[in-house]
Amino acid sequence: MYFTIAVRNLLQAKRRTLLLSLAIGAVTMLLVLLQSLSQGLNETMIQAATTLSAGHVNVAGFFKSKPSDASPILSDAPPLRAILEKETPGLDYVIDRARGWGKIISDSGSVQSGLTGVNLAEERTLTKIVQMARENEYRDNGRDQVLGDINKLAEPGQLMLFAAQARKLNVTVGDQVTISIETIDGQTNTMSGTVCAIARDIGFMSGWSVFLNRSSLKSLYEQADTSTGALMVYLKPGYRGREKEVMDSLRGILESKGYTMMDHDPNPFWMKFDKVLAEDWIGQQIDLTTWEDEVSFLKWVLVALDSITFFLIAVLTFVIAVGIMNTVLMSVRERTREIGTVRAIGLSQSGVLTMFLLESLLLGLFATALGSALGASIAWLIDSSKVAITDDAIKTFVMSDTLHLSVLPQHVITAIIAFTFITGLSALWPALRASRMQPVTAMSSAT
Amino acid sequence: MSAPIVQLSNVVKEYPLGHVTVTALDGVSLDIDAGDFITIAGPSGSGKTTILNMIGCVDVPTRGEVVVDGQPTRTLSDRALTSLRLHKLGFIFQSFNLIPVLSVAQNVEFPLLLQGHIGAAERKKRVAEMVEKVGLTPQSGQRPSELSGGQRQRVAIARALVTRPRIVMADEPTANLDSVTGQNIIELMRHLNETEQTTFIFSTHDPKVMAHAKRIVRIKDGKVEDDGRGNASNNQAAA
Ligand SMILES: Nc1ncnc2c1ncn2[C@@H]1O[C@H](COP(=O)(O)OP(=O)(O)OP(=O)(O)O)[C@@H](O)[C@H]1O
Ligand SMILES: [Mg+2]
Repeated sequence: MYFTIAVRNLLQAKRRTLLLSLAIGAVTMLLVLLQSLSQGLNETMIQAATTLSAGHVNVAGFFKSKPSDASPILSDAPPLRAILEKETPGLDYVIDRARGWGKIISDSGSVQSGLTGVNLAEERTLTKIVQMARENEYRDNGRDQVLGDINKLAEPGQLMLFAAQARKLNVTVGDQVTISIETIDGQTNTMSGTVCAIARDIGFMSGWSVFLNRSSLKSLYEQADTSTGALMVYLKPGYRGREKEVMDSLRGILESKGYTMMDHDPNPFWMKFDKVLAEDWIGQQIDLTTWEDEVSFLKWVLVALDSITFFLIAVLTFVIAVGIMNTVLMSVRERTREIGTVRAIGLSQSGVLTMFLLESLLLGLFATALGSALGASIAWLIDSSKVAITDDAIKTFVMSDTLHLSVLPQHVITAIIAFTFITGLSALWPALRASRMQPVTAMSSAT
Repeated sequence: MSAPIVQLSNVVKEYPLGHVTVTALDGVSLDIDAGDFITIAGPSGSGKTTILNMIGCVDVPTRGEVVVDGQPTRTLSDRALTSLRLHKLGFIFQSFNLIPVLSVAQNVEFPLLLQGHIGAAERKKRVAEMVEKVGLTPQSGQRPSELSGGQRQRVAIARALVTRPRIVMADEPTANLDSVTGQNIIELMRHLNETEQTTFIFSTHDPKVMAHAKRIVRIKDGKVEDDGRGNASNNQAAA
């Protein structure tokens, strides 16, 4: 009966119900949209990061032959890899990448870049996720077609650039470039390479990334084949989001096998040189990081977006809460005589409270369900229509040239519960006032 | 003779009104027997509504004692008063006061639902019976706004009586009705008083309505002028 009364009263006051539903629904929709944007960014970021520079968990480190130098390498990778492959909880696979930093020089320019040496045979996502650019994307008057082939990275002397680098160097697929690096002893080594592929940019991280054949990079640095840059650990889907946990248990495992571990520093390896150089030790230390640590310098984008979302939603919520309170107060005033009547007939104070709260909660549930359904649909529509981002700055930060939105069911459910709860909470005070009305006061009111 | 179902002794009700205090009831003493059909009569502002509110447990006296079905109301909590109203009392209002969003049958069912302990089948049966008694079976699915004034007051009567209360309070139940309809309503109440043994206490201005009462209590300026048994509170106080 409470339910019947509540529903019918909502239907009775159509204009009011509609207006409030619109407001509550709109905020819920906005929240779902913004959350899906944040989630989408997060997903794009993890994909870019785990493709370009990190596994879910990274096992890397520094080797110091004397206290005053530092190489970002693992000097003896194979036994370490064996341990990881055997003991990592939730392991999907491990890949091995050599790392370096150098200059790519063409006839008309040069760029500084990180160098990643890949063994294409063991790469799993690289060839799938990195998309090839059409020639006209990096060259004026270029052909409207993809040139080159990423699979050629399997051959020595081959390298892959990203579009922004190709544009700066004014090269196209098939061109020769010179790669120049400085070894730990301060000696400059160079080699000549062939551009076998040019990929679409993946945010600004790709501007600092050149992929080349692993053994070519190793010989450029004159390093033993058993040393490497990083072992990247990829986890099974069920373990995603538990990277920290996995990292911590790996720390324990490696410590127990006698490895010296660096303290956890949630930053990418290239930000750690100065610190390690200043330290007074020699030999090998292992550094464990998660993919998030490796892109920590980008995290502020997500933090900023989430803060804006929070602030916006908080302000709107406040406005709406006041609106709901006012509306319920109005409804209580209009229904004073009805309240008096039902109190006289024998409805308890808590019964009156229930009557008004139920009405608001029903309204809230209806409006938030509708709003979040709408928000989710819009997010899905935007995502599947692959809206192109035209602004370069935005493209850089979202690390994608299309807008990716991702709706998580738990976000939708949380939004519905939270806003229904807020609706109820806003109605609480006026509802309490209604319940405390003396039946005689309520009855003697006019109209 | 059994104890009266309602007893008022030296009831004073004062209302604060700004800086002054309005004395609505000024030492009212009154006994009402079970099964009576009694009217409270008096000019406007004399205190009729206030007396009915005291007996109906929607308000409590400032001083003095009101005993309803053996329970002194002044010391009862809101919860206890609510329960007393739900189980022992029925209300009929001057302007009907039905719940606008509920149908005739649902309005009548409402107090039974509040009582809680009655099963759905039994509820349905009692509602149907009561609606039948007030002659509204054909309208039982309609909303109050679709009914005439007289029909609405019949719904209110059915709602007041469906719980089989000991006492039914009616404050000027005919004031918003034309005189013929008003007469019908009073006759219906009188009929139910006879058949259901329910005590009715109602107030009115209308001499024609008053004429149906078994007993007439006349009040003026918050005092009982004539309690219908040859007593007046002033006389008592003077004696
Ligand atoms: N809530 C209140 N606050 C202040 N004064 C009140 C209040 N209720 C009633 N009174 C006063 O108490 C007195 C008695 O009022 P009551 O409503 O009982 O009279 P009544 O006989 O029912 O009058 P009417 O025939 O007009 O309905 C009046 O003087 C009235 O102004
Ligand atoms: Mg009155």
